[in-house]
Amino acid sequence: MLRHRWQGLLALSGIALGVAVVLAVDLANSGARAAFELSAQQLQGKATHRLAVPGASLPDEVYVSLKRTPGAPPMAPVVNGWVRVEGGTVRYQLVGFDLFAEAPFRSQLAGVATDAGFIGDWLTQAGSLLLGAATARALDVAAGDRLDIVYRGRPATLNVLRIDEQQSRVTADLLLVDIASAQSILDMHGHLSYVDLILDAAGEAWVRQRIPAGVQLQTVAAQAQGVKRLSAAFELNLTAMSLLAMLVGMFLIFNAMTFSMVQRRNLFGRLRTLGVTPAELFSLILLEAAIVAVLGTLLGLSLGVWLGRGLTRLVAATVSELYYNVSVTALHLDWTALIIAAGVGVVATLLATVVPAWRAARTPPLTTLSRAALEQAVHRGIYLWALPGLLLLAAGLLLALALPGGVLMSFAGLFALVLGAAMMTPLVIRIVHRLLAHAGLPGIWRMGVRDLDRHLSRLGIAVAALMVALSASVGVGLMVESMRASVNTWLGDLLCADLYVAAQGFDAGATLPADVVQDVLRLESVAALSRYRERMLPLAGRRVELIGAHLSAPSRRGFALLSGTASAWKDFAAGAVLVSEPLAYHLGLAPGSTLMLPTPAGPQAVQVAAVFRDYASEHGRLFMDEAVYRNYWPDQQVDSLALFARNGDVESMRREVSELAARTAIVLTPAAAILEESMAVFDRTFRVTEVLRAVLLLVAFIGVLSALMALQLERAREYAVLRALGLTRGQIAGLISGESLLMGLLAGCVAIPTGMLMAWVLIQSVQRRAFGWTMPFSVDGPLLLQTLLVGLLAAGLAAVYPAWRSAQRHPAPQLRED
Amino acid sequence: MRYLLLLLAFVLSACETQQPANAPALRVDQVLGAEPAAGFARAFAPRSFRFPEDHGAHRDYATEWWYLTGNLQTASGRHFGYQFTLFRVALRPGEALQDSAWRTQQIYMGHMAISDIAAARHYSAERFARAAAGLAGARVTPFAVWLGPWSMRAGSELFPLTVAAQHEDIGLALQLQSGDKPLVLQGERGLSRKSATPGNASYYYSFTRLPTRGELRIGDTVYTVQGNSWMDREWSSSALDSDQAGWDWFSLQLDDGRDLMYYQLRTRQGEAHAFSRGSLVGTDGAVRTLLPDQVTLTPLHHWQAEDGARYPTRWRLQVAELQLDLEVQALLDDQLMDHSVRYWEGAVEVSGSHHGSGYLELSGYAGHSPSL
Repeated sequence: MLRHRWQGLLALSGIALGVAVVLAVDLANSGARAAFELSAQQLQGKATHRLAVPGASLPDEVYVSLKRTPGAPPMAPVVNGWVRVEGGTVRYQLVGFDLFAEAPFRSQLAGVATDAGFIGDWLTQAGSLLLGAATARALDVAAGDRLDIVYRGRPATLNVLRIDEQQSRVTADLLLVDIASAQSILDMHGHLSYVDLILDAAGEAWVRQRIPAGVQLQTVAAQAQGVKRLSAAFELNLTAMSLLAMLVGMFLIFNAMTFSMVQRRNLFGRLRTLGVTPAELFSLILLEAAIVAVLGTLLGLSLGVWLGRGLTRLVAATVSELYYNVSVTALHLDWTALIIAAGVGVVATLLATVVPAWRAARTPPLTTLSRAALEQAVHRGIYLWALPGLLLLAAGLLLALALPGGVLMSFAGLFALVLGAAMMTPLVIRIVHRLLAHAGLPGIWRMGVRDLDRHLSRLGIAVAALMVALSASVGVGLMVESMRASVNTWLGDLLCADLYVAAQGFDAGATLPADVVQDVLRLESVAALSRYRERMLPLAGRRVELIGAHLSAPSRRGFALLSGTASAWKDFAAGAVLVSEPLAYHLGLAPGSTLMLPTPAGPQAVQVAAVFRDYASEHGRLFMDEAVYRNYWPDQQVDSLALFARNGDVESMRREVSELAARTAIVLTPAAAILEESMAVFDRTFRVTEVLRAVLLLVAFIGVLSALMALQLERAREYAVLRALGLTRGQIAGLISGESLLMGLLAGCVAIPTGMLMAWVLIQSVQRRAFGWTMPFSVDGPLLLQTLLVGLLAAGLAAVYPAWRSAQRHPAPQLRED
Repeated sequence: MRYLLLLLAFVLSACETQQPANAPALRVDQVLGAEPAAGFARAFAPRSFRFPEDHGAHRDYATEWWYLTGNLQTASGRHFGYQFTLFRVALRPGEALQDSAWRTQQIYMGHMAISDIAAARHYSAERFARAAAGLAGARVTPFAVWLGPWSMRAGSELFPLTVAAQHEDIGLALQLQSGDKPLVLQGERGLSRKSATPGNASYYYSFTRLPTRGELRIGDTVYTVQGNSWMDREWSSSALDSDQAGWDWFSLQLDDGRDLMYYQLRTRQGEAHAFSRGSLVGTDGAVRTLLPDQVTLTPLHHWQAEDGARYPTRWRLQVAELQLDLEVQALLDDQLMDHSVRYWEGAVEVSGSHHGSGYLELSGYAGHSPSL
């Protein structure tokens, strides 16, 4: 090994990079996941049950009357909502609680009030704020400072009353205020978000007997499932990236080890000639591989932790923008991730060694020395690999697309598909070689092509490794692009009105003042309008958005109905609902099916009129006619309006509505602005995917680059012979570069169809099973071209140094060396 | 009585049920040493009480309480003492913001205790709530003071008064009758001065003997009991004077039908302060004021609490000119109220020249190291 220092370094760095990429991606994912789950659970405290009104808030009286009944169990009311800090993008959860009710639940919260001034200021001053130390640092505020926040576009001011230095999990990342402040800021006068309870069986019965209809008592475990679902889309992204990282990592290791074995066939032959028995040789090689595996894995683990730290921050930042603020203060050292990464390192190394070692040990001494014999064996091996590869690829497609199953099955199929394609790569090289060999290329080029085929044993896996990284990049990239295109089209159709009116911002259902709705109706310039009222509805463990809507004819045309009879809109008016594709998929709904909705008046059966394409929520959305909605939820509020201008005179309408806006707290948004904002959110969601994709590609790039470089350097003597035979420096450099570029091109060419297959599986199987939505597959030309270029660039760069060196050197010393 | 104690509620760690084990013990004199915030009404001069209105809350004053203590017995003679107090504390003077039904400047604190003399056990509980959203408050007609499920309720008159309070391991369900004794205005026509500083006074009236019957619960056992209760009503915005450390307060119901109240304010040197006061209510309801130079109080025995504080739980109380020479003995040494505010409050029996029973309150001892 020492004699072949390039190979030694290559093997070590290959293993280390492979292990590092698996670990880093896994750590980032588990870190973000853990932070998210902790945030979801942190407020739970010791509560066993939760009291709430499905899809609505809980009237104060329900809590107060229970609280005043003798024999009442411990109860704590909570008023919460999501706000943004003025000028920032991160969402924070504002939590209002009652200090006096907290002791049995979250003693840390109750325990912050230990001195005279605190309770007085806390209870009597509006907006008194309690912050965890880390959150205060993140927000750059100290006790006494003010913090401006925005809730649904409406500004509010908080005053930092105390920083909790205890660093307790309960205060982290939350804006904690008194329940009175929360009701005022979140516009929840007379209402609570929920009530936490600590109940035994008798307590549960006690509460059940006393709660009014419409109020639900749920165990915390049942409730937590709803929260967890929130992160499913994001998690899926992360899981996909972990799996791809594992694939790329394994191939990097295979590449490094196979290369190292093949390079030393001569050495093994010599050892056999010197009388080393096959058994001895086999154990020697395996021992060496084990040492390299352990060293490389250790190196990889530390590299992975370092890389993982940066990635974790990045992933957490995205979670903060999409959901709510989570802080990853320390790297979440997940043992499973460490074990998996170490396992990949050691197992992949040994697997890559066993077959060549066995072969090296078994062959008689003389043939060991013969290069031709080995290459022959490798060429036979091409078919041995290609056939199972093809089968694996087919099995993968079958698993993901044809067989029933969950998301995990889809991923297993995806894995098999890529592995199969990688195993077939050497055969593709061989075929390309055959084609090129008969293409009548000029001499030096023919030589390069022949060379490539001759070195298939060394290069096959390097090309396959590059191919896997490139195809993963193509697959994920195409999926994201397809989705982006679909979302864009869908939003474009849906946002067909000229102007949208909402109470301060469009992001979620703040309600419009009733007089505004009346006034807008009376405007001359408004030809038609649609009204919307939104609420969350827990349905079969999902947080479904229910929208009570009065839809005008043009708004109706914006719906892409996927299935539904011609009478869909007539049925809708008669009380049937429109369900989004994800909801229909997960609950097995079709036009005509019946759905039970939890309403304040108890469960109500409604008919499904049609299924519409929708990417707004993976949990699902339901549209119900406004009149029907008001039967079940007797509130008269309207969250937003969609306005259509008379005779297309948008400007007049805009002017008229603006006059209304001037005297009330409403915001006008043209459809284009909403579309733009929505696409920005979309892009933020997938920014992590993009970065992880780039990291994978970079690592693969480095791995393949080092492999190619090592190969070319090892062949220095060969080039010296060529020089001695009369080839010019330029010709040598050209030969080396040409060979490398051909490899990159080959990897790219195989990666493109493989990546497209992956994208197909991701869209048709993974997305469908995870989220329930479908989308047209769109091929993005520039992305494919980019993949080819990256392949060529990796290969080209790899050739630069060897080409320069071989061309510079005088052939004589190289030839003398042997 | 219980003069001021309560400002302390500010300090409380906000617990509804239990004090965190490591909470600092509070010294009454430290907490009450400060002047109450400007803006509260003060008791400068005697007022003309109006009932039933004055049974309700006086929100302009910083603190107020409805204070019940009593000695009760089962038919078989098993003896229990009880305390049930609802305190109102104004955190800030003036009206609260109107931004939420939960916003208020006022909070309520409740203390409940049962002394099971036969089992030598003292149980107690504490609760808090804001006086908003219906969680706690006071109402004149029909009369009610409540803190969550704890309450004192009556009709248009204060009596009969129904007491209902259940906590984890204890509970009270009592009915108090007015009995024969009239309402007693303490101090100077109900103005009880606590120091020479003007305004350091409270409005204070008592019902000294209220026939009581009902049920007491300890764990799962319910005892049917009867006996006599004592009710104090007091509101003020006072503070302790700088030379005052605490007080020893006696409410004694003598077997001959007379009721004696005496509080001794202690100076920092442990001597009786000149503003210590008391009253003796005759069987006919006639009230006689007791001044410190008429009363001799001698501690006979001390009980030492875990924190080292020593509480005098046996006393000799002498009023020479009335031929009273009483030995007041705690029925249990440990009747410590170890909550947000730490004080000793417990059932006592009276022997000596006269017999009887009553309640004793000792405050301002916690946190003082023993003088040995």
